Amino acid sequence: MSQYKIIFTGPVGAGKTTAIESISDVPPIKTDATASDMTKTRKAATTVAMDYGIMNLAGGEKIHLYGTPGQERFDFMWDILTIGGIGLILLLDNTRADPFQDMKFFLESFSKFIEDTDVAIGVTQMDLSNKPTIEEYHIQLQGMGLKTPVFAVDARVKNDVSLLVQALLYSLDPGLEEDE
Amino acid sequence: MKDNQTKPLQAVLHGMDGRTYKTMVMYFQGPCKGVAVVVEDIDAEVDIIDTDFAAGQDALRKIQEKGIVRPVIVLSREDNKLENVIYVEKPIRLSNMLAAFEQAKTITEKKGLTKPSPLAHETPVASKDVVAANGDEANNAAAKKAREDSDERKKTAKHKTAMQLDESGFSSFIGIVPGIDFSDREQVLKASYSPKNYFQGYVLSAFKVSKEKNRMLQLNSTWKPLLIFPHSHEVWLDADDKQLRAFASLEMNKATGTKLTITAVDPATSGVGGKLDRFHDMDAFIWKLAIWTSKGRYPQAIDINRPVFIKHWPNFTRSLITPHALRITALLINGPRTMLNISEVLNVKPQYVFVFISAAYALGLVGQAERRADELFVPPPIEPVKKESKGLLSKILGKLRTSP
Repeated sequence: MSQYKIIFTGPVGAGKTTAIESISDVPPIKTDATASDMTKTRKAATTVAMDYGIMNLAGGEKIHLYGTPGQERFDFMWDILTIGGIGLILLLDNTRADPFQDMKFFLESFSKFIEDTDVAIGVTQMDLSNKPTIEEYHIQLQGMGLKTPVFAVDARVKNDVSLLVQALLYSLDPGLEEDE
Repeated sequence: MKDNQTKPLQAVLHGMDGRTYKTMVMYFQGPCKGVAVVVEDIDAEVDIIDTDFAAGQDALRKIQEKGIVRPVIVLSREDNKLENVIYVEKPIRLSNMLAAFEQAKTITEKKGLTKPSPLAHETPVASKDVVAANGDEANNAAAKKAREDSDERKKTAKHKTAMQLDESGFSSFIGIVPGIDFSDREQVLKASYSPKNYFQGYVLSAFKVSKEKNRMLQLNSTWKPLLIFPHSHEVWLDADDKQLRAFASLEMNKATGTKLTITAVDPATSGVGGKLDRFHDMDAFIWKLAIWTSKGRYPQAIDINRPVFIKHWPNFTRSLITPHALRITALLINGPRTMLNISEVLNVKPQYVFVFISAAYALGLVGQAERRADELFVPPPIEPVKKESKGLLSKILGKLRTSP
């Protein structure tokens, strides 16, 4: 059986692990370790390999949810991880110094994968920092020639993560209809 | 004791961090009984500077360089015997602060520097042509600014997750427009409405004025006041969705329209102070207001025979999601189409397209091309994913939409 995957990526602390946890049917396998470098200024533990969750579908199929390690030194894993991926969920932390730079970095890093599939962007921590606004993200994206879905997301809230994934799926095919 | 008829002294605070600023605003409102209020610099009658902060020292230096034209109250642990300033020793004692205010007020009156009361005027508002209120609301600007940091997370309505309407619950939630049979094509073509005849139109006009003037405003109607905060892109309304939905659907006749006014925000009557859960993101508020006004009709300004385009995806996680809204958006992102074409291609009822277009149009997200060449644009065919993948994606959708 094919390995169907949705990839979650983004910088350290953007909520990838939490987002996967929100929609996974099984307790996700976390590979967190105590943060030891600059990461520790943002969170106590960070993902050093990858996170993994599963969505069980009707008919016994499974969707594998993979979260990339946020730290850039693990970017060698990203290409391998995306093989067979349905699409990309990019989570951005709005409290970071330059979320636009983060966005550009990840969109460029995954450009080939995005070209073949699609991407949806979730902006987290907007209740702590409401700037940049979602509108400003769209302006940046338009400058890059992209019309990507961008939603404010609380990674702990299943509905937020679910809507983001739904937007990704409809971006892949607007004619898609729900199969219950 | 403060005479209720006396206008409070309008003060601007310099050189304070967010916490100190907030404390001072509350101190003036509470222990000082509103003898002074915090306003923006341009509206101030007195400068209050905490010179124990470096930024305060800098602010004082700049004021001295320009020449002191209005009273300056300096708050500090040490009396540096500065000339032409009113000194209040820290920790501040109420009697000293009130005495400083009194001194400042006397100087202001003597010099004729008194500023007009911010709530002096009220301006009638029409949805089509709004005139900005006179006066200012800067005292509230200060109060709002002071609230921003720690209280942002308590604005639950603003950050709450989207509610997704399915088709079965749509009509009962949105309401039905009497006299329109959506199964009759002729009636569908005429199922338009004019937002300016409803509360939506007045709100949009007031937002526009508030944004242009960069001032907080209060929209007064026969119902509850709506407060608009352009700086933070928020509104405040002491009403729940059910109440708003009912008011949104009322057509405003001319007589009612004349009673709508915009004024400066009045903290005494608005009740904004203690109800942070009544703050809404401005876009999310307009979005749902348009949905409840539309009830499945499309805005009159949209030509049903011409294609519409969408600028970008709405922020769906913080908006009321109407049936098929995500599909409609995904389709429009690929290129402009007429509303009826969208209905046909996606096989959805036209009222679902209309209500979505109404909400997106209210936010300025959709429009119609003005050039004739764009009208001749042939909508691109949908490029479906492979059949195998389509089945899988549909299953994922089903899973996401049905799991609790």
